[in-house]
Amino acid sequence: MTDTVSSPAPTVAVEGVHKRYETTDGAGTTALADVSFTIDPGEFVTVVGPSGCGKTTLARLVGGFESPTSGRVLVDETPVTSPAPDRAMVFQAYHLFPWLSVQENVAFGLVEQGVAEDVRNERVEAMLELVGLSDRASAYPAELSGGMKQRVGLARALAVDPGLLLMDEPFGSVDSQTRRRLQRELLDIWRTVEKTVVFVTHDIQEAVLMSDRVLVLTGTPGRVRDDVTVELPRPRDRTDDAFIGYVDTLFDLVETTI
Amino acid sequence: MANDFSLRSGTEHGHRTSTRDLSRKWDYARLRRGVFGTAAFLVVWWVAASTQPTYLLPSPLEVGGALWGELASGALFVHLGQSLLHYLPGVALGVTAGGALGIAMGWWGRLDDVLTPVVRVLRPIPPLAWIVFAIIWFGLGHTGAAFIVFIGAFWITFYNAYSGVENSSRELLEVATNLGIDSEYRLIRRVVIPDATPELLTGIRTSVGQCWMMVVAAELFGAPGVGYEIITSANNLAMERSVAYMLAISAVFLASDWGVRRLEARLLRWQP
Ligand SMILES: Nc1ncnc2c1ncn2[C@@H]1O[C@H](COP(=O)(O)OP(=O)(O)OP(=O)(O)O)[C@@H](O)[C@H]1O
Ligand SMILES: [Mg+2]
Repeated sequence: MTDTVSSPAPTVAVEGVHKRYETTDGAGTTALADVSFTIDPGEFVTVVGPSGCGKTTLARLVGGFESPTSGRVLVDETPVTSPAPDRAMVFQAYHLFPWLSVQENVAFGLVEQGVAEDVRNERVEAMLELVGLSDRASAYPAELSGGMKQRVGLARALAVDPGLLLMDEPFGSVDSQTRRRLQRELLDIWRTVEKTVVFVTHDIQEAVLMSDRVLVLTGTPGRVRDDVTVELPRPRDRTDDAFIGYVDTLFDLVETTI
Repeated sequence: MANDFSLRSGTEHGHRTSTRDLSRKWDYARLRRGVFGTAAFLVVWWVAASTQPTYLLPSPLEVGGALWGELASGALFVHLGQSLLHYLPGVALGVTAGGALGIAMGWWGRLDDVLTPVVRVLRPIPPLAWIVFAIIWFGLGHTGAAFIVFIGAFWITFYNAYSGVENSSRELLEVATNLGIDSEYRLIRRVVIPDATPELLTGIRTSVGQCWMMVVAAELFGAPGVGYEIITSANNLAMERSVAYMLAISAVFLASDWGVRRLEARLLRWQP
């Protein structure tokens, strides 16, 4: 057995995807309309856009939690049909198992994949260290703050070492200091273990700091308004003129979006 | 701060006893009020009894005497033992079978469709109504009484397990598949059952309590045990002995309820 359950970074192809939700009033909502893009292996792609434009929906489609109403979602050329651990997701609403302690939550995927106990414990410890929750390992989710829960969700997804990481506003509830540290850590992980990342955020600066490309979605129904490649050397400097230039451009794009 | 606490302790306790109240330290003001209430009750009972002959209303003292007699002779334990002989297997089997069927029907929609009509018809039948079959099939011994208890525990646990599973979180099931669960068995074990544990435990606690009522009811029809002693003593106009056995039921009810609450508090310590 290898030391982790690492899977290689895949390509992602979203081809002409429409997503329509049936609603209780019978009218239905079109969350995404004709969305197409591809992501290369190991690419870090951020999705930005106004609230309700379909960012979560897009991440859920790639994760296999939803199926498109029409169009296709391919990961490594294979249509996505159901969730799988090589496409681990960090949820906007955390979704921790309330009956499991912090460390049991983080260990969940490793247990299910039959990772040997000593390897598992080591990995869980490393993940908790990474997100700064080693001292809360035996706490239950109900005893944690929102930001802590979010970090447990992050650790839980990272623990299975997925080739494709789907992150739905993963740092939305953490304080700004922790947020900066986690941004750095995530970039470190992404650099050392090649991963394809789909990262949803409201924070334009974060998008420019982290990503190779930024997809700007327009309002309901969501469409890809723009696909901006961030051509800045890493590590990036927030005070750099070129950095600020990207932030301004993206701000304008998002702001003039309906 | 102190004032704030005492204000709250006055309103919050009310009649509600949640599992968490067990871990609370002794609240002496509350204890005092409880002792006062009990004493007042005994006085009212005693005064009322003094105006009536024993065969209509035995006094607390007479009941105490009868209770002591049954304890000292060991008769009380013999009859409690007989009751336990129906109660324990009935509850254990009923909770297990009812819980299993409730989980299965809550999880597999097809099975639910197939069995729902039958369940709808059978569930409202009071367990005691089955006494006729209990008598014909098993006779009025331990098995017959255990059968009645089984039916009671079965439906109570079934209902709770079913609704617990039916309301299980879709999101958590998604997370579990995302983290690598790909068999229904693992999903049920790792998510469905833990998620339904609060409801399951409510089912078990309700069964454990209600089944004392059922055991006594079944014994009133003639199965040996505490219920049988209550009715035969009354037939002999030894009302103080009847009441002594009624109190014995109270005692075992309280003890078993306490036990399940402890279990609940332990298994649900993750709840806020
Ligand atoms: N399960 C659902 N049923 C019905 N409509 C839904 C469902 N999920 C999302 N929608 C609708 O689809 C649209 C897109 O929702 P989505 O959650 O993807 O937005 P978002 O971009 O992630 O928003 P936010 O930034 O607020 O998280 C919204 O109009 C929403 O109301
Ligand atoms: Mg969202």
